[in-house]
Formats: sequence, structure tokens, C-alpha cells
Amino acid sequence: MTFKNTQDVKQALNQQQYIASDEIATIMYLSQEIGKPLLTEGPAGVGKTELAKAIAQATGRELIRLQCYEGLDETKALYEWEYAKQMLYTQLLREKLNDTLSGAGNLTEAADRLAQEEDVFFSMRFLLQRPLLKAIINDQPTVLLIDEIDRADAEFEAFLLEVLSDFQISIPELGTIAAKHIPLVVLTSNNTRELSEALKRRCLYLFIDYPSIDQELNVVQLKVPELEPKLARQAVEVVQRLRGMDLRKSPSISETLDWAKALVALNSNSIDSKTLENTMSILLKHESDLSKAQRRLRQLTGEPMNPDEDDLIGGIRWQN
Amino acid sequence: MQERVVKFISALRTMGVRVSLAETADAFKAIEKLGIQDRNQFRLSLRATLVKDAADLDSFDELFPLFFDANTSPPLMDLLQDLSPEEADKLAEAIRQMNERLQEMLERLARGEELSQEELEQLGQMVGVSQADDLHYQDWMSRRMEQALQFQQVQEALQELMETLRELGMDEERLQQMGYLMDQNLDAIREQIRQYVGSRIAENLTEPNREDGIDQLMNRPFNALSDKDMKILREEVRRLAAILRSRVSLRQKRAKSGQLDPKATIRSNLKHGGVPFEIKYKDRNLKPKLVVICDISTSMRYCSELMLTLLHAMQDLISKTNAFAFIDHLEFITPDFVGKQANEAVDSVLVRMPPGYYSTDLGYALRNFNSDYMDTIDSRTTLIMVGDGRNNYNDPQAETFRTMARRSRRAIWINPEPQTQWGTGDSDMWKYAPYCNDILRASTLSELTNAVEKLLN
Repeated sequence: MTFKNTQDVKQALNQQQYIASDEIATIMYLSQEIGKPLLTEGPAGVGKTELAKAIAQATGRELIRLQCYEGLDETKALYEWEYAKQMLYTQLLREKLNDTLSGAGNLTEAADRLAQEEDVFFSMRFLLQRPLLKAIINDQPTVLLIDEIDRADAEFEAFLLEVLSDFQISIPELGTIAAKHIPLVVLTSNNTRELSEALKRRCLYLFIDYPSIDQELNVVQLKVPELEPKLARQAVEVVQRLRGMDLRKSPSISETLDWAKALVALNSNSIDSKTLENTMSILLKHESDLSKAQRRLRQLTGEPMNPDEDDLIGGIRWQN
Repeated sequence: MQERVVKFISALRTMGVRVSLAETADAFKAIEKLGIQDRNQFRLSLRATLVKDAADLDSFDELFPLFFDANTSPPLMDLLQDLSPEEADKLAEAIRQMNERLQEMLERLARGEELSQEELEQLGQMVGVSQADDLHYQDWMSRRMEQALQFQQVQEALQELMETLRELGMDEERLQQMGYLMDQNLDAIREQIRQYVGSRIAENLTEPNREDGIDQLMNRPFNALSDKDMKILREEVRRLAAILRSRVSLRQKRAKSGQLDPKATIRSNLKHGGVPFEIKYKDRNLKPKLVVICDISTSMRYCSELMLTLLHAMQDLISKTNAFAFIDHLEFITPDFVGKQANEAVDSVLVRMPPGYYSTDLGYALRNFNSDYMDTIDSRTTLIMVGDGRNNYNDPQAETFRTMARRSRRAIWINPEPQTQWGTGDSDMWKYAPYCNDILRASTLSELTNAVEKLLN
């Protein structure tokens, strides 16, 4: 299935319980139309990976995921010859090989005969398909998610360029394999390092920031409908306030959702300082953040929220 | 429209956003698909195709309305239509009592007549708007144009006018209303001027005027750089860093020595029937830890700043950097780098140091380091000093430096001065030199780049 217009993208994603802003919908649609990969950047846990998953579900395509890490190379990302299997086959087929070669008059003839059979040993049968190759040769259109590209080394990025601009892969023994269907490619980056200009040039760029109060409230209500609306609003306000503070790691949307679920499980009917103290560790994962936030939030619960008075609100940081 | 978009792109480039030809082509493809009717979609299609760096989004958002918002200043209202004949007479009489130039302006306000394009051009020329090529100047230029129109006096005159009208027996409520409308008109003209300045600056931005070739700048000594040159060089540093990064990371990866990696060796030699032809090594601990101490006194600022920028851009090749800066005492500046460019970080440090006359005191800074931060140096750390070793005849504390150098894996001094100048005047370079493993000269950016590459070897 392909999207017809941006509204279509939005609705389809909504059905997958992914609330897409106009920006996300528009750029996703463009990516499909122009056939360019989509590079999403933003703080950890704002739903970059989720976006790819939702797209796959919405379009009914298979999701192929390549998780990047330091030291990732072609053999892990693209393909690898399965030497062990080749060896095993050679052993087992020895007799058959003897038959083939027995009639040969001299060495040259034997070698020629063997060469004719070469294709058997360098065929798809012995090729371990890694995510990129899988996405390229798949019979059905797919969604290819290249997750956390900033964790991979710079050379790997360079290697990706061929795949991302031409959607083809060259395997010396087999020749060049072009994609049957151009996959929808989503790359995500947490911005731990600058990506190369060349890679950026080949992608459309989407920056996903933390959502606004209303957007986040929508997400919470959609994913944790059991939570009472008033409580949900309160919870989201607390999280938004935490993001404004100067913390080592700000709470992400997924953590908001975990917290909302915890509030439901604990049957809380209001967010008081006791509940906060007990559940705060779901939102914050650093000891220093916890103590800072608890001190701050204890004074705030129950009081009307007034962001102007908050002296702790600084610029939002998201370098992790 | 096409032309407008191309102009917009060249203005983006002038603002320092990298836009390639391929991206321009993408932008047009995107516009083709989504059209330009929906303004928001149009904006998003340009943004997704042209801007690839979160830091550049602000520039885009600032520039976009200047190019694609129909320049509609708020309408001015004609007061006269609304007035009865005798009220109009009173107004005319009151205005007549003012001096001539103000008269003109007030009549304009009363009639609700906006500035014509020629008038704007004329005013613009008076304040030199054609030289402005930075959006930061928009407010300032607008204010200067308002001054040229004598806004201050006009406002006072308005007050006076109201007084006169009151004396002429104008109805108080009408008077209030009239005053309000006049103020509105004044604001409208102000907005008109602002928009004019904005669009003029935007136009100026589309004309590229790079004067110096970058190659020349690369080889110009730091102390001969102007602020403008620095701006260009900062850009260049980003590019250099990218090149350097891939070169160094390749070298780090292909370890030629180190511990045998049995798993990888067996795996890669399966194709040779298990005979170990290709030996693989396990060596991923090559990333250095750095302690950088920079002199940021006036003579050394540019050098230090570019050095820090380079190192900052290469964070992923370094396992940890602790950066310090000093003029007369030492400051820990790593926290300043969070989410900032090196020049902003250096600036914020300069703000922190109390104002007043500074005399460089390297010795004191070293003593500071010794007492507060010595634990940042361990046997894996490379110590880098950036400075000219000029100490203002203070105690050099060479002994302290010796301790620091001995604790570290190696000590490197980056000095812009040639060896012949060491020891002249207040330079204590010869006193430190024996304890350094390496002293690299870096008086230009290209030399500095070489130095950084050597240091990551």
C-alpha cells in the first residue's frame, strides 16, 4: 500500500496508534514520493524507531531492522559467504565431484569442468543475507530501518551511500543486484556525532523534538486509556516540567508511558508527593537527577503550574 | 517562484547553511509533489530537503518568512473619512500650528498613507541598509530609519496635537479614539519599515561576496586574522574535522598490532580451510584521553579557539576530553561546550572571568591545575598545552609542569611561535621544553590541522 496524500499518512499512522504531527506526515509522504531515505534526528525516546515500525504496520510492509553499533561492518550489514556450509557441501558431494571429474583427460579439462560447476558454490544458497541485502532482494516492498546510524563508524556511513542512492549492491561473485522494489528507508540518529555531509545530502531530514503538552497528552490517552484524563494531564505536566530542568537525562515519551501505566497499576487518584517519590525512578535514571527533581517537585505538586516562575528552566539539552 | 526559491537557497548559504546542488534539485522535486498552495506543506518540503542539521533549523525559520510571506504591512486607517467637517477643520488647524516637517508626517498619519517604495529606498540609502548582510542588523537598521523619520519628535508632536485639539474644543471621547488610531498608524509604518529592512537584508544575503580565498586564509598567521576571516575559518574547520576524522578513524581501526583475536581469526580463515593466513588483532583501545590547557589571552585566542573547535568536532575519536582555559587563572571549560560551538564556549568563559586588566600568568594557572584537577591526568592521558609560553615574567612553575608531564602518557605543546623566538622577552618556553615529548608549531590553520592529526596518531 502507498499513501495518497499527507492526510492519508496521518490517518494510517493514527490507526497504528502513532500520533504524527503535520511535519512528520508531510515529510514521510515526501520520502515515499521522491524515493529518498528519511533521516530522523532528535533526543532519545521521542519515537523515531516507533515511527518506522508504525510505517511498516500502516503500509503492511515487512520491517527490516539494522541496528548500528561501533565496529559494524559489511559482513554484518550486507552479506557473508557461509564458508562452513560450503566446506560441508564439498565434503558431502565429494563422490559426485569425483564422477564429474573422472572422465577428464588432463588437468586443464578437469579444471574447466569444475569451473562449470562453480555457480553451485557461489549461489544464493551459501549467502548469509544480512538486513541490507534482505531489504534489497525482497520480493515484497519493505521498510528498512537503520537504527542509530551515529553509533556506526564513519566508513560504514560511506559504505551505505551506494546502497542508499542507487539501491543496489555489488557482490563480486554474483554481480550487481538491484532492488526489485525500492524500500522505504528510515535512518535514526541520536546526534552523538556529526554525520557526514554526503549521507545527509542523500536523505530528507526530519527533526523530532519532545512533544508539546497536548501532543504528549494525546499519546498517553491513546496508549494508556485506563488513566483518568485529569490525572493524565497532571502527569504530562510533571514530565514536561522535568524536561525543562537541567537534568543529565530527560524523561522520554516511552518513560512517560511507563509511568502512566505505573500510576494505573498503583491505582493512584492524584499525584501527591508520596506517589511521586515512589514512582519517580521510572522517569529518571540517574541518582543526581532523582534527588534534584524530588526536591523541586515536592514544592510544586498541588500548586498551579506557572512556567514563568520556574528558575530551573534552562535551555533544553539533549546530548547523550 | 523558481527564482525566488533559488534566491532563498543562496541566502541560506550565506547564513552558513550547507546546501548542495542535489539538495536544491530535491527541493524542486518536493515542491512539484506537494505544490505551493498549502503554505505549511511548502515550508516543510523546503525544510526537509534543504536543512540537514538541527542547528540550522533556526536560520531557516528566520529566513523563510522574509522570502515567502507576502509583504503585507498592517493597513493604515484614514481618520478623515470618519470625521465631521468641522472636526476635520479643527484637526487641520491644529496640524497647521506644528512645524513644517512634522506637519507632513502628521498629515500622513491622519490620512493613513503608507510610505512609498521610493521613500523607503531613500531612507534606506540614508542609513546604509545596502551594506547590512546579517539579520541581526534588522532591528538596528529599522531604528535608524525611524530616527531619520524623526519618530521621537512625531510622537511628542502627537501628544501636542492632542492637547491643541483639546483646546480647540474637540470632544474628549473622539479625541481618545483619534489618538488611538494615530498610534495604530504609527505602528503600522514602523512595521512597514521593519519589513522593508528585512527584505533588503534578505536580498543582500543572496549576493555572495567572499573576498579571500580559503587557501590563503588557511596559511595566514592567527594574529593577522580579522573577525570576518575567523567566521570563514570556523566553517572551514568543520570541513577539515570531517576529513581528519575519517583518516584517523581508519587508522585507529586497522590495528597492525595488539592482542590476537582468536574468534575473528578463525572466522576470517574458514575460507582458507582453517589455515590462519589472515591474523586478526583485538585492539580497540586506541582512543586517546585528552587534557587540553589553552591560553585564551588576546594573542592566543584564535589559535586556542580553532584548536578546541577541531577537537570538539572529533569527539567520537577521543574517549574523553577535559578542556581548561586560562588567562591569569585556570577555568574548567568542558561544561561550556554542551550544545555550543567553541567560540561561544570561549566567549562564555571570558564572561565568567571578572572584567579588568589581565596579565597572563601561566605559572599560576599550572599551580591551579596541580591543586584542583591533577586527577584528570592518568597514564593514558595525553596532555596538550596550547600557548606561546609567555609568562609576563611571573614564576614559570616549570617543576609543576614536569610533574604533570610525567604523570601523562605524553605531553605535547602547541606553540604558534617559531623556535627562534623562544626565550626572547617574557617567553619561558625553554624552561618547559625539556619536559615535552613533542613541540609542534602551529601559527596557521593548516599547521594546526597537521598538529592535531599528529596528536591523534
